[in-house]
Amino acid sequence: MSSTAGVAAQTVTPAVSTVVVSGIWKRFGTTDVVRDLSFEVQRGELLGFLGPNGAGKTTTMRKILDIIRPDRGSNSVFGGLPGVEHQQRVGYLPEDRGLYRDVPILDTLTYFGALRGMSTSASRNRARQLLEEVGLGDAMTKKGAELSRGMHQKAQLIATIMNEPDLLIVDEPFQGLDPVNAELLKGVLIAQRDRGAAVVMSTHDMGDAQTLCDRILLINAGQRVLFGTVPEVRQAFSDGAVEVVGRDVPTDPGLLRSVSDVSEHDGSVRFLLRDGATASDLFRELAATSASVERFSVDSPDLGEIFIRAVDGDPRTASVA
Amino acid sequence: MSPRSSFLRLVGIVARRDYVRTVKRRGFIVGTLVLPLGLVALFGLSAVLAPSSSSGLTAGDSQIVIVNDSAIDLAPAAAAPVIQLVVRHAADEALENGSIDEFYVIPATWPGSAEVHRVEESGSFSLDAAQRHEIQDGILAAALRTGLLSGTGISADTLVRINTPASVTTVTVSGSAVSDAAMAASVLLPFGFTLLFVMSIFITSGYLLQSVTEEKENRVVEILLSSVPSLPLMAGKILGLGAAGLTQVAIWIGASVLFIPIIGGQVGGLGDLNLSPMVLLLGFVYFVLGYLAYGAIFTAIGALAPGNREAQQYSGFFGFVAVIPIIFSSVFLTDIDSPLVWALVLVPLTAPASMLMVVTIAPDLPVGMIVSSLLSLTLFVAVATIASARVFRATLLLYGVRPSLRKIVDAMLARDQVARN
Repeated sequence: MSSTAGVAAQTVTPAVSTVVVSGIWKRFGTTDVVRDLSFEVQRGELLGFLGPNGAGKTTTMRKILDIIRPDRGSNSVFGGLPGVEHQQRVGYLPEDRGLYRDVPILDTLTYFGALRGMSTSASRNRARQLLEEVGLGDAMTKKGAELSRGMHQKAQLIATIMNEPDLLIVDEPFQGLDPVNAELLKGVLIAQRDRGAAVVMSTHDMGDAQTLCDRILLINAGQRVLFGTVPEVRQAFSDGAVEVVGRDVPTDPGLLRSVSDVSEHDGSVRFLLRDGATASDLFRELAATSASVERFSVDSPDLGEIFIRAVDGDPRTASVA
Repeated sequence: MSPRSSFLRLVGIVARRDYVRTVKRRGFIVGTLVLPLGLVALFGLSAVLAPSSSSGLTAGDSQIVIVNDSAIDLAPAAAAPVIQLVVRHAADEALENGSIDEFYVIPATWPGSAEVHRVEESGSFSLDAAQRHEIQDGILAAALRTGLLSGTGISADTLVRINTPASVTTVTVSGSAVSDAAMAASVLLPFGFTLLFVMSIFITSGYLLQSVTEEKENRVVEILLSSVPSLPLMAGKILGLGAAGLTQVAIWIGASVLFIPIIGGQVGGLGDLNLSPMVLLLGFVYFVLGYLAYGAIFTAIGALAPGNREAQQYSGFFGFVAVIPIIFSSVFLTDIDSPLVWALVLVPLTAPASMLMVVTIAPDLPVGMIVSSLLSLTLFVAVATIASARVFRATLLLYGVRPSLRKIVDAMLARDQVARN
């Protein structure tokens, strides 16, 4: 999806986009950290925010949160300028995060909830309930310094969702977590998305991005490189190959008109399609043979590979930038 | 909710939370109770020491034993209760059995010669200079004078006046008596209070510094900034921690008002200290302005410094600036209208301590000086707060990085706006 398409979507259905970023620039010193960046985040969508270290992800998130002001361009949150009136509807989990070392986590969370517009009693009750839900019921009175890293992460994520925000911005939420706790917190994020919150998640884990995100935004050197759904992006980077697993699958390219090349690998056959041919053409041709097909899949690279190619300037990024 | 009410609500939440957290800290409680407990201890000590200190040199303490070998009759002088005339062997015996530590021998050559002997057992017995002066130049000399003059027909009253020709009492122009203790208190107490005052400002500003650096080091600050814009966050901290400092000072003043008159009754003079409502009001105003001035600077330092240690180092310099008036305290005593005093009351960072000394020392409140210093200090507080807020929001998220001087200046002049609110 191009930036033009994003702006057009804003014009047609302005109420749907929780966040609209339009052509923002930010310079620190002599470096343009963010350059002409545009995208939007819809209600009930989980947007994966990807990019190499120093690409400008954190700066962009801080701009959405109004912690940093852009030099040029604009961004809106809930249809208006970012500001204190929206901060009660936002949850933020920064990459550099912590808790008060000498304060019980229940008190810390109560304070954070109050800052997000909750009454003290409601905030305390909600903190207690969420701590119970993530298995920290026995640790409510523990101070920040007494918590393990995993407990810290859980408490911090609770701080982010205390007020049931309509916009959730999380920076590397699963960093350093064991698989059990990571799955637990992924479930929490998905539940927030399903509840209708717009979720922006920065991650370096392409597996998480591929399985959790509805759309991904890849930025490099402050510029948008990729923006679209995961299938769209993978499709764009697909070289047209089809992977087939089965018995008696023909491996002679001369027998199949839609195929230009065939290779075998670990029991599967990989067909490279001719220009103009589609996977459907190949499927029909295979159906006409004696082959017994167990699996037929369009072979597209995973997000990790796409990430590397996109950052290296693969020309195919243009179709989903 | 309007932006204005949101702003005030956030300021209130931050202020209340920082206040409660600070006053519950062990360091705050101990620091707050030090002065009242010290005064209670002083009260107890003065009560214990009161009977001995009120009567000065007692007869028992300064009993002097005299062996008179001269031709002059010292019997009339011996009527004084502190003098005991004995024969030599009795004196030697008393010295040997330890019932006395020393005795005086008036030799046969006296008064032809002024020489008088003091006898002690080993040569190691000592009294402090004041006691020795009291015994030898006071009691012994008076006894010898009385002995010399007793046969000349001078009346007993005249003899007393010869020995005590004048008893000086200090009074004010209105005629009320001024005790020595009160005179000492009038000199020492302004400095004591000024020191306490500067300490209070620094301790309170220190809470601000500690709070900012702690939240930066704990990485809590970015979570806070996503909920609270930088200006209400800073304003809430200044209010909450300022209130904590004022609580501490109020407890100190309350303890002083309660205990100083009581202790003053015990030691004399101290109770004459005048903590007038106007002086207390001015003290409060200068405390608030002083705290805001140093608080603005310390907030910026907390945001700028990479860590708590660096923040302490940077703020230490300002500690020296704040005590400059105390270093020049003698000038305040000798010439309160001197150019140096005027300079110190007009420079914003030295004004709070200087003015506290001025209002406690000056016989009449110097209105011109008070107005000038208040204007200077208020203007500085306004400028420093704006500059500090800009530095605070521009540098608070720079973890472990020391910003360049140019970046700091740019931030203060709003040439590098990086955040709203």
